[in-house]
Amino acid sequence: MQRTLELRFLGTREEFEQAYTQLRHALDAVQLDAAARYNVELVFEEIVANVVSHGAPASHESDLHVRVTLELGLESIRLTFEDNGVPFDPRARPDPPPPQSLDHEGGFGLLLVRHAASSIDYQRTGAGCNRFTVTLPRAPGSTNRIR
Amino acid sequence: MKKQSDVAGGCAWRWENTMQMQVADAGEGILKVALAGRLDTAGVARIETRLTAQVVPRGARAIVDLSQVDFVGSLAIRMFITIARALGRQGGKLVLYGAQPLVAQVFTTASLHNIVPVQPDAAAAAAAARS
Repeated sequence: MQRTLELRFLGTREEFEQAYTQLRHALDAVQLDAAARYNVELVFEEIVANVVSHGAPASHESDLHVRVTLELGLESIRLTFEDNGVPFDPRARPDPPPPQSLDHEGGFGLLLVRHAASSIDYQRTGAGCNRFTVTLPRAPGSTNRIR
Repeated sequence: MKKQSDVAGGCAWRWENTMQMQVADAGEGILKVALAGRLDTAGVARIETRLTAQVVPRGARAIVDLSQVDFVGSLAIRMFITIARALGRQGGKLVLYGAQPLVAQVFTTASLHNIVPVQPDAAAAAAAARS
């Protein structure tokens, strides 16, 4: 696999699933720690599922475009997610408190992303896109993670 | 298995998500459910209705073997909480066991064990389901 992989797809469940499969095939060609690979897939899953579920303006579902760039460095892995959906700054969402009853409503996705990441960044670009960048340690456990 | 096509320059990719489920009576009122595959968005979509139908209507005390589950994300956690809540209303219980280390780490990060028992093996899971 090249050091950089770019995936472009429509923000539909079907294209999300196809892109996810393509990502996993590409990762098969990379020597990656099992935990690092799990985290790449987890972050991709959580971020793109959120974009697909909530990103499209109500009347323009077929116009939601997503681009994901994976960059493999020697010590870190950077995933950049760009979409033209409604503005969403994931940093503004606090982690849910630990569940105390079965009435807990969930919202664990961003919590899992934050736990896996060494840093996250968000911009609303001048072109009207969300750009969310997640950096993961290539050797999980060796880097202080954000909480 | 359904084929994917034309993702990148005509390359054909296969759908990989073929979640599987087996259900067996483990005796002493315990229902054992073995899951295999990936519990990502697609996997949850493929298994949630069937899993719910197997355990919830009968108010089962169900133990779920996750030893063959390679991946869980937040939707899987939500699914287990939803099923556990529905079971609890009917006097049943959901207990998870046998999670692989990276799957167990996700459960720990979400503090799932606060509300759904997560046990190392079938014996411990059955004991928790009976309690």
